[in-house]
Amino acid sequence: ILWVSLHEQIRTFIQMRTNLKVVDNSGAKRVMCIQSLRGKKGARLGDMIIGSVKEAQPRGKVKKGDVVYGVVVRAAMKKGRSDGSEVQFDDNAIVIVNNKGELIGTRVFGPVPHELRKKKHLKILALAEHIV
Amino acid sequence: MAAAATATAAAATGTLLPHALLNHRSPPPPQLLALSSSFRRLSLSTSHRRTTHLVAHSDAGAVEPEPVSEPAPEGEPVAASADSEEGEAEGAVALAEEEEEPAPRPKPIKFGEIIGILNKQFIEEAEKVKVLPDLKPGDIIELRMQRPNKRRLSLFKGIIIAKHKSGVHTTIRVRRIIAGVGVEITFPIYSPRIKEIKVIRHKKVRRAKLYYLKYKLPRFSTFK
Repeated sequence: ILWVSLHEQIRTFIQMRTNLKVVDNSGAKRVMCIQSLRGKKGARLGDMIIGSVKEAQPRGKVKKGDVVYGVVVRAAMKKGRSDGSEVQFDDNAIVIVNNKGELIGTRVFGPVPHELRKKKHLKILALAEHIV
Repeated sequence: MAAAATATAAAATGTLLPHALLNHRSPPPPQLLALSSSFRRLSLSTSHRRTTHLVAHSDAGAVEPEPVSEPAPEGEPVAASADSEEGEAEGAVALAEEEEEPAPRPKPIKFGEIIGILNKQFIEEAEKVKVLPDLKPGDIIELRMQRPNKRRLSLFKGIIIAKHKSGVHTTIRVRRIIAGVGVEITFPIYSPRIKEIKVIRHKKVRRAKLYYLKYKLPRFSTFK
């Protein structure tokens, strides 16, 4: 979190120790990022991260303490688009994937940005409730 | 410019007075002090050529009696001759100004104004294509935008929480709760991708930037 002005918090990258919400039905609830697979400073919207599951539902595909890959589908940091607009969400959220990029869960909750199309995460876009 | 004014005025009379050149360079010799000071005052008044030359006239007229009284004991003959010369110079300057009035020079564009002028041109071009309503923070708007490979226009609704004005890249930040999660999108309003902006309602706010809505209940950012 950066404070550039007194009026608004400027959110930054998703880095080590960032807590993220999980928005699919793979069983995990919270994941802590341990590595961002893209970018020196950290992950942004649409990037992959490696995380450790901190909180999980009792009967799910992943358990607490598992090391998993995830795709960031919502980030509190602004992401610029080529037409000059910028998108930001209210929270940080990921969807758990395997190391090839295939989804583990079968449903995705909440809105997703269409930046994922460029990153070739088409399955996530297909399952999403709303594409921003 | 002041020295040039006096030089042209003096040249019009036919005599190039050495005092004109002495003006702002070296300190003048004491007996000619009053003369050079009076010339200085005359040149100052003529430098404001954009204003009416009548003002310059009155200024020069007001200035005249002062230096005459100053060197009364010493340079009276010199002062008397300077008076007539001043009068002539004055008349010449007035003539020169009248000649220039009908053909005014175009005002030169300053370097720092270029960006402002360009921005105005871009905004005018953008306004021709679409009509933008007056947007203020607190307006609840509906925005139609063209997406790159889609035929239909996508629709965005929400409340304007901020407007950043910067010429043609004036942006508005629109907030809405979509599928349970708050989303804020910044749109450049003069972009050709944005086809239509319509103000649906207005919410009374007492701020220019409504960043506090992020921390409030979701129902304040929900719009059907």
